[in-house]
Amino acid sequence: MFFRVMESSRLPDLVRGFAQDHEVIGPVAKDDRFVFATIDDPAELRLDYDTTLLPPKKLFFPAEDQLMRFRVADNEVLDDEVFAAPRVLFGVHPCDINALLLMDNIFLKDYVDPYYKARRDATLIVGISCVPSEECFCNAWGTDEAHWGFDIFLTDLGDRYFISVRSVKGAELLDDFVETREITDADTADFQRVTAERKEMFAEDLDTSQLPLLLDAKFDSPVWDALGERCLSCGACSMVCPTCYCFDVRDDLAPDQKTGTRSRLWDSCQFSEFSAVAHGQNFRDSRASRVKYRYYHKQWGYLSKFERVLCVGCGRCARACAANITPREVVSALAKGGFE
Amino acid sequence: MAPRVVVMGLASDFGCQVQMTNIEDDLLDVLGLIDLSYWQLASSGHMPAEYDVAIIEGAVTTTEHVELLKRVRATAGVVMVIGACAVTGGIPAMAGQGDLEERYGCVYGADGAEVACGRVSPAPVKSVIDVDYEVPGCPMDTTEFLRVLSRALQGLANRVPEEPMCAICKTKENICFLDKGEICLGLFTRTGCGARCVTLGRPCTGCRGLAKDANVESAMKILAAKGFDVDEVAERLAVFNTLEEAFCR
Repeated sequence: MFFRVMESSRLPDLVRGFAQDHEVIGPVAKDDRFVFATIDDPAELRLDYDTTLLPPKKLFFPAEDQLMRFRVADNEVLDDEVFAAPRVLFGVHPCDINALLLMDNIFLKDYVDPYYKARRDATLIVGISCVPSEECFCNAWGTDEAHWGFDIFLTDLGDRYFISVRSVKGAELLDDFVETREITDADTADFQRVTAERKEMFAEDLDTSQLPLLLDAKFDSPVWDALGERCLSCGACSMVCPTCYCFDVRDDLAPDQKTGTRSRLWDSCQFSEFSAVAHGQNFRDSRASRVKYRYYHKQWGYLSKFERVLCVGCGRCARACAANITPREVVSALAKGGFE
Repeated sequence: MAPRVVVMGLASDFGCQVQMTNIEDDLLDVLGLIDLSYWQLASSGHMPAEYDVAIIEGAVTTTEHVELLKRVRATAGVVMVIGACAVTGGIPAMAGQGDLEERYGCVYGADGAEVACGRVSPAPVKSVIDVDYEVPGCPMDTTEFLRVLSRALQGLANRVPEEPMCAICKTKENICFLDKGEICLGLFTRTGCGARCVTLGRPCTGCRGLAKDANVESAMKILAAKGFDVDEVAERLAVFNTLEEAFCR
C-alpha cells in the first residue's frame, strides 16, 4: 500500500475519469435516506451519507437473481453465463468493505459462486471515511477500519483527501485521471488526528470480549423468549444485513410451460418456512428459536469457522427492525441476564 | 388431453376475471395449454357438466353459492380461488359483521332481506370447500396467477408465502411508511406481490390476507408504542381481513 494526497476539488474529475470505462455506482439521496445507485453526474454523489438502505451486497448477490434458463422437454440449460460489466463502487464505508470480505469467505472459498465472483472481479472498490452515527457499533468488532478489500480508500481531511492505494489497478486509474501528490508529514499528522477524532465519536462501547462464552452459557436464557415475543418474523434484519447470505432457489415456468427460469432470492432465517423440512416438520418452529439462531450463527457459528463474527456493526438492522431489536441490546441483555 | 377449465364468479366485482384479460401478452400461450370450457365474464353459455379445473372468484354470500361450490368440488379435480373476496372473504366479509338483515334493508329497501333469500354471512370459498390453489390480492396479480396456474398444471403443491411483506419491501429500498408516521399493514400481510403498493408510494392495505408468520399481537403493541391509533389499524385491517384470524390460525 502507498499513499497520495488529492485536493477535494478534484473529486468530480476522478468520478468522471472512472466513468469513461466503468459504470460508477455510489451513494445518492432517496428522500431523507441513501441508496447505492448509478452515478450519471458527480454532483449526485453524496459522500456525506450516513448509511444506505441496502448494503453493497445487492450489487454482487442481487435480491433476485436469474441463474439460468432451462428447456423443460430435455432439461437442457439454455443460458447460465454471467455478464458483469466493469464498474466502480465509489464511496464504500469501512464496515461495508469488511462485510464484503466476510461474504467472500462464503462465495469465493470452498465452493466458488460464479455469479458472485464475476461481479466481484469486475468491480473496483473506492472506500470513503465516515462519521459514526448513533446506530453504528463497528468499533465493537474492529470493523471500523478497512485495511484491505478496496482498490483505493479516501480519508476526508477537509480540504483534501488522504488516499490509501491498495491495488495496481487503483493506482493506475488514479494516475490516469487526477493530479495527486506525495504525502507530507503534515498530511500524515492530519490523517492521524482525523482518525483519532473519529474513534472518539462512537457511542458507548459495546463489550463483546466474552461473547462466544456468553452465548455458550446463555443458550436457555429467558432473554430469547422475550425477544421471540417481540420479533415480527418479518425478515427485514436479514434483507438489510451486509453479511446475511442465505437464499432460496425457485423455478418458474414460462406461460407456455416449455421453458423456465431458475432464480435465487434472498431468504431469512426468521421465516418459519426457512427451517421447514419434509413431512411438515420444523426444527425452529418458534420465533424465539429463530431469533436465537440468527445470533448464534452470526456471533458464534461463523466465528468458529472463520475467526470473525458475521456482523460489521453497520446498524442497518437496528434501523430496519420495527420491533427495535438491535444487536447492541441483545448482547447487553445477555450479559446482564435481562432487559433494562 | 388439455385440462378442461371453468372460470366462475361468486360475490365480487369480477375485477380478477378482468385481470385475466389483462394477461394479453401471455393469454394465447395459456389458452394453448387448456380447454377453456366456460368463462363467466366472457361467455354467455352455460357451465358444462364436467371439467377438471375450477377457477373461482368472489365471496360466498348465498346458499346458492354454497350448493354450487359443493357441486364444483365434487366435479373438479382442482379448485383454484382467485382474489381477496374468494381467498379471505375480502371486502364482502365486512358486511357480515353486525346486523346483516339491517344491512340488506339499507341497500335493497324494506323487503330487501326477503328478496335476498338464501343469503349467508359473506365468507371465503375455503369456509365451504377444500381449496387447492390460492391467488390472493385485490385484484390478483397477473404474474402470480400465471405462476400458480403453472403449478396447478404441473401438479405441484400450492405454495403460499407465509412471511409478512417487510422483507421484500426492504429489497426494493422503500422508505418505511411507519418511519414516516403513516400506517402500513405490511407487518401483517402475506408477501408475494413484491410490495407493489409501497413501491408505488402507497401503504400496504393488507389485501393479500394475514401472513401465517405475522406476529399480530407484537405488531399492534409496536404500532401503539410508535403512537399510531390501534383502533384505526384494526379498522384498516378489517377491510380485507375480517375473517382471517378465524381461518388463518
